[in-house]
Amino acid sequence: MTHTESQDLLLDLAYGELDATRAAEVESHLSGCAECRQEKAVLDEARRMAAPLRELEQPSPAFDEPILRAARAQAQLEHDGNVGQVIEVTGTVRAMGLDAARVDAHGPVKARPIERLRPRWVVRAAVGGSVAAAAALALVVSNTLETRRNAEKAAAAVRTGEFEIRVQPAAPQTLDSALRDAEGKRAKDQAEERDRAAKPVAPEKSSEKVAQLPMRRPAQHDAASGGNLRGSGGDAVVSVRKKAALQAKEGAADAIRPRPPPTPSSGEQVAATSGPAPSTPSSPPQVAAVSRAEPSRASVEPPAAAAVRPRRDSSPVPVSKAESQPAQAAGPAPGASGAEAKAQEARHSSNYLLAASLYRDAAAMRSRDGDPGAAAWDLAHAVECLSAVARFDEAKEVRDELARLYPSETTALAAARRALRAVDPPVAPAEH
Amino acid sequence: MAQELTDEELLAAYQQGDPGAFEALLRRHRAPLFTFLLRMLGDRQRAEDLAQETFLRIVKGAPAWERRARFQTWLYTVARNLCIDQSRRDRFRRADSLDAEGPDGQPSMVDSVPGREIDPERAAASARIRPLLQQALLGLPPEQREVFVLREQAGVPFREIAEMVGVNENTVKSRMRYALEGLRKALAAAGVSEEAASDEPVVDVRLGRA
Repeated sequence: MTHTESQDLLLDLAYGELDATRAAEVESHLSGCAECRQEKAVLDEARRMAAPLRELEQPSPAFDEPILRAARAQAQLEHDGNVGQVIEVTGTVRAMGLDAARVDAHGPVKARPIERLRPRWVVRAAVGGSVAAAAALALVVSNTLETRRNAEKAAAAVRTGEFEIRVQPAAPQTLDSALRDAEGKRAKDQAEERDRAAKPVAPEKSSEKVAQLPMRRPAQHDAASGGNLRGSGGDAVVSVRKKAALQAKEGAADAIRPRPPPTPSSGEQVAATSGPAPSTPSSPPQVAAVSRAEPSRASVEPPAAAAVRPRRDSSPVPVSKAESQPAQAAGPAPGASGAEAKAQEARHSSNYLLAASLYRDAAAMRSRDGDPGAAAWDLAHAVECLSAVARFDEAKEVRDELARLYPSETTALAAARRALRAVDPPVAPAEH
Repeated sequence: MAQELTDEELLAAYQQGDPGAFEALLRRHRAPLFTFLLRMLGDRQRAEDLAQETFLRIVKGAPAWERRARFQTWLYTVARNLCIDQSRRDRFRRADSLDAEGPDGQPSMVDSVPGREIDPERAAASARIRPLLQQALLGLPPEQREVFVLREQAGVPFREIAEMVGVNENTVKSRMRYALEGLRKALAAAGVSEEAASDEPVVDVRLGRA
């Protein structure tokens, strides 16, 4: 055994915690190691000096009694669940480490009163009432929000220029009759063509083909633009933002507008270049010249009702106006429609005065071409444009002209009146 | 009959509802435990209170005791924890007056401390030098004192002390060496000679088999 090992085991040797073999090894080392022997002697001396501390002290005679009572009570509780003899505690129970709840296990138990169940119908009525109240509340809130939203939308439309067009839906019978009339007119034109067959008018066919195109497109366009229509009862309310309307109008105009052989596409350019064109001997040059020479309202006579007049109010105004040109209007239509397209562009670029002027020119051309509906709407648009720049006096004049010339065009007239309702409120009913 | 059983067998019997088994345990350990607490605290009344509370906690915890745990280790662990709590509470108390009369009519600490003039007859009586020893013991650091008392007086082996205290065995032995050396120096300074203190040979004290 080394010296270090012996040093570590001296205490174990002193307290007798080594087995005999190990103890003999340490003793053997001690016999030959003076240092370890000295240390062992010091340990023994200290132990002998502290020997009196090993004498046991006895607690007081009353020491055992509370402990034995608690032990008996606990044993009884663990054995049969009965605490047996109740321990009388004069001091704090916690200091004794007892569980007060167990000591008081035999205390009187207070019975809980039986809960009365409510009748089932009361519960059902309460649930039903709650559901009904919630539904009513949701309805009221929804209506309120919808009303507020509509009001805000109307106000925003006034602010931002968004406009709403309320048009009468086209009755199916009207459309059918219009189509029949159109077919009849077409047949009549073809008959007239045959009568004039002796005259060699070669380009007539090509122009007719171009003019026939719009006759087929309205239905397609209506179907395509059906997503913008919102039907409700007898009215169809169409809300069109300026941008969307502009795109629709331009698209429709491009699709319908007869493409002149040269590049210009606007009404003015067509009018300017159509005069000397020998290849298009039909009437547009003269019409365009007239329309530019004199204002539309100067000598416009109330036109006779057109044999075929697609209802403008069966679709959004800008679209239907462009698409509803009858086939026989192929000659003057480029001038009128060109003026209308130009007016629309001017209107959407906020050049309302130019737009109003162009609309009035277009109205004059439409009137001359025998399309009072289109003429009336052009005048209505002129009223709207003049109202937009606060030219209310002129707008009123145009509105009055519209009312005088086309009293049967109630929808266009209503639109013109609506544009002036801010400065020309409706007449109040007479007071009694 | 019950005296022949080990501590663990007695506790197991008590778990089965035999109150007499616990009574046997109590009689076996009451004095050693009380002495341990008295050496640690130096106050008979507080030592007795804590000894009672220790046994009551053993009663309360007996149903949950598992046989693989040694009863003596459990008992002294509970007592030690209570002792630590008590020491913490006493830390802020005023120290006991050295002029106060000792328990059971014993002389005060002042009267017990010998002067520079050593009276060999007085030092020879272990009963009379016990207050000196107690005072010297209380002067040790608590960690050394508890190791000394547990091993010297309660007879708990170093390995079990290490488990109870939560340190390794070498640390326990180191503390024990320091405690013995401290006591020896303190007693020598107090004039207590080895011959006066020990009127009986040093023996190994083991508890649990008394």
